[in-house]
Amino acid sequence: MATVFERVRDTIVKQLKVTPAEVTPEASLIDDLRADSLDIVDLTIAIEEEFAEDAEFEIRDEDAENIRRVQDILDFLAQQGLS
Amino acid sequence: MTRALVTGLGAITPIGLTAPEFWANLVAGISGAGPITRFDTSDMPVKIAAEVRGFEPGNHMDAKGARRMSRFAQFAVAAARLAADDAKLELTDAERPRAASSIATGAGGVTDTMDEMEVLLNRGPARVSPFYVPTMAPNMGACQVSMHLGLRGPALASVAACASGLYSYIEAKQLIELGIADVVVAGGTEAALHRLPIAALANMKALSRRNDEPERASRPFDKDRDGFVFGEGAVVMVIESEARAKARGARVYAELLGGGLSCDAFHITAPLEDGSGAAQAMTEAMRIAGLTPADIDYIAAHGTGTPLNDAAETIAIKGAFGDDARRVAISSPKSMVGHLLGAAGAVGALAAVMACYTDTVPPTINLETPDPDCDLDYTPLKARSMTVRAAAANGFGFGGQNGSVIFRKYSE
Repeated sequence: MATVFERVRDTIVKQLKVTPAEVTPEASLIDDLRADSLDIVDLTIAIEEEFAEDAEFEIRDEDAENIRRVQDILDFLAQQGLS
Repeated sequence: MTRALVTGLGAITPIGLTAPEFWANLVAGISGAGPITRFDTSDMPVKIAAEVRGFEPGNHMDAKGARRMSRFAQFAVAAARLAADDAKLELTDAERPRAASSIATGAGGVTDTMDEMEVLLNRGPARVSPFYVPTMAPNMGACQVSMHLGLRGPALASVAACASGLYSYIEAKQLIELGIADVVVAGGTEAALHRLPIAALANMKALSRRNDEPERASRPFDKDRDGFVFGEGAVVMVIESEARAKARGARVYAELLGGGLSCDAFHITAPLEDGSGAAQAMTEAMRIAGLTPADIDYIAAHGTGTPLNDAAETIAIKGAFGDDARRVAISSPKSMVGHLLGAAGAVGALAAVMACYTDTVPPTINLETPDPDCDLDYTPLKARSMTVRAAAANGFGFGGQNGSVIFRKYSE
């Protein structure tokens, strides 16, 4: 069973077309993983879809504004009981 | 007057993923039609199409860029890259403001609209892709080509149904003639293969239902034609001013002389039965090109394979060409490639260019039983070697859109 981090990493790899090795918790989505604002919206939708069967949650705009690094996604998911 | 030359060719089509492969198969009479594989057709009356097979966007653009593009724009970028490579096109930063794109389409990203509508209805507004609008917009073929090749002059995207592809060459000629651009990357693209358009066109009785023999389904000018075969793909060419092309010693495939346009102003789908609208476009194209019917050796016909089009086009050619209508060689690329809708005019243009460049006229395959209403020389079944001094490409579209573009063998 893949861990939460592995599932987040694989989703980011698929959405942003980066290599798995680039996706570390400290990586900045914009500076290190070359995302722009549209990518981040698209990524939050993909994260919602990936974890839709594990927990009922929505990444609201104000939540998305706080997502800058990969760790921020992991922290948000932990708040939803996913870790 | 500044002359406009064709210096690079690119194609992503059901019969080839490069221009040379496309042309070899066109001359050999290979059909690109087959069973539809993209979606389930079990409840549909039409189960065949000319699909582009084996297309890998990653061979032509980076994966992230491809994800932000609809298939029609991916086709355009791939064909444009192939054309630019073929032309050995290199632009300095100083040249970029005078380098343009003109990429026509009939439907743009219509498939994205259908897919995202399903997301909206089934999964709610929060799940709709933020990329939807900038992927589906019909100008994105042109803008993505400009982005990928660094063309900072005008980016034009004409929409004229199935005549669209021809507009790009008329615009390219004008941009160069008016001194607005020295290089125009011009063509047409379409990728609208989806259940909805197939269902709608089938209900319109526009599509062939020869499901058991897809390769024999597209039979322009044949007595037993029963509609067109839906296709997808893109053709893009590099059009360059003569001064720039000569200065760098570019290979020249043909000269683009320009074209004529008209509107039937008559009916949403049916052509004028006397062919006068289409004839007017051909006559205007010859006037702009400075040629007469006697100068033209080949017509890449619109030739869809619908009963109405082929009869009306025959009358139109007779109207525009007079006695020369019986001399000129005609053929329909759609008999092999299928109908690429907004890219169809660009397919015809490529056939016209290559006919001039190689002195070869591709055939109309499946033309086995002559129709008394279609009594010209449509080059049935087999390609022909013959001198082609100049060639016209025709395109007609719903709404009464008519276009004809003329290319000539290049001589200084």
